[in-house]
Amino acid sequence: MNPTEAAKTIVTGLKGAGINLIATLPDVNLADLLSEIEADRDVVHVPLCREEEGIGICAGAYLVGKKCAAIMQNGGFFNSNNAIVSTLLQYQIPLLLLIYYAGDIGDRTFSTTGAMTEPVLQALGIRYYLMRDPADAAELIGRAQVMTEDAKRPVALLMTKEVLGRRALLNSL
Amino acid sequence: MKRFDCLKALAEFAGDALVVSSAGAMTLEWNALHPGDGNFRVRTLGLCSSIALGMALGLPQRKIIALDGDGSLLMNLNSLATIARMGPKNLTHIVFDNEVYEASGSKQTATGAGTDLVGVARAAGIKNSQWANSVEDFTRAVTSAMQGGELSFIGAKVSTERTQVPPYPIDEVENKYRFIRYVEKTEKIEIFKTNLPASYV
Repeated sequence: MNPTEAAKTIVTGLKGAGINLIATLPDVNLADLLSEIEADRDVVHVPLCREEEGIGICAGAYLVGKKCAAIMQNGGFFNSNNAIVSTLLQYQIPLLLLIYYAGDIGDRTFSTTGAMTEPVLQALGIRYYLMRDPADAAELIGRAQVMTEDAKRPVALLMTKEVLGRRALLNSL
Repeated sequence: MKRFDCLKALAEFAGDALVVSSAGAMTLEWNALHPGDGNFRVRTLGLCSSIALGMALGLPQRKIIALDGDGSLLMNLNSLATIARMGPKNLTHIVFDNEVYEASGSKQTATGAGTDLVGVARAAGIKNSQWANSVEDFTRAVTSAMQGGELSFIGAKVSTERTQVPPYPIDEVENKYRFIRYVEKTEKIEIFKTNLPASYV
């Protein structure tokens, strides 16, 4: 799949899971996905200035009946930690977190951020799953939404380059 | 101007608006004046305006009031830009500015050193932003914001004086359930759904 097809698949998965409000902050690897979301009339798209406010927006929308997802890079997930802990976890509010995995194997940006991502998710007790194959993306999103609703805790999907229809880097410098 | 007097005036005409209030004594004062399941207390400093925005976007037909503080808003100034960008007509954002981190030892905030939050809100793109300088002024501003059907931001400079009120009566999880049940009842919608056990399917 190319990035546009992968983006369409992911959006189909989100809508199939009942998601109707999506808060986002760009990463270059998320560009095609965010364009698809922006163009979709069925979901409320909230472009953020900082990821932590997105946690608040999604929590507020959940309290009045919306099904939400927040899409960000892992650096943005770190930015969001206080809100995740003292709002989502403290009030037992579900949220689907779609996190671009910068510093993943084959991604030459923010290797330190990549190294800390899974340990921080584990420390917060947030269950997470790695997305590699765009063909599985829609089903994984559906399953993760079921899990977050049942657990009333955030669940994270780590999006790699491959699931976004991009190639991992194989060339050394 | 006392915050409690402003809240007392607000309680007269808040009606069935959903009210999100920032952590601190203000929440307790508001709850004492206007108890009810349509109140949501925020515990993450800064997040009040964002939670209120989420509610306003999720329920565009319902009035949403954010009761924010200067310390809180200063921690999440970017929320003003996002609120302006989304422009929810049903949101009234009120900031009680006492120029200190009241719940954190009363150290001075940046507003005490000159930052003008109404100026910031206007520059962020919220056209309908104004200071209220008296309780009458505040009442007028909030009434017109509630009736006008426009996104609005109201700043009120208040003293650091607190009023003795009881503690908040419920914890965060109970607040969540009560608030959602209240929204379900008053909006006639179903938010919490449960499924039949697998043996029925």
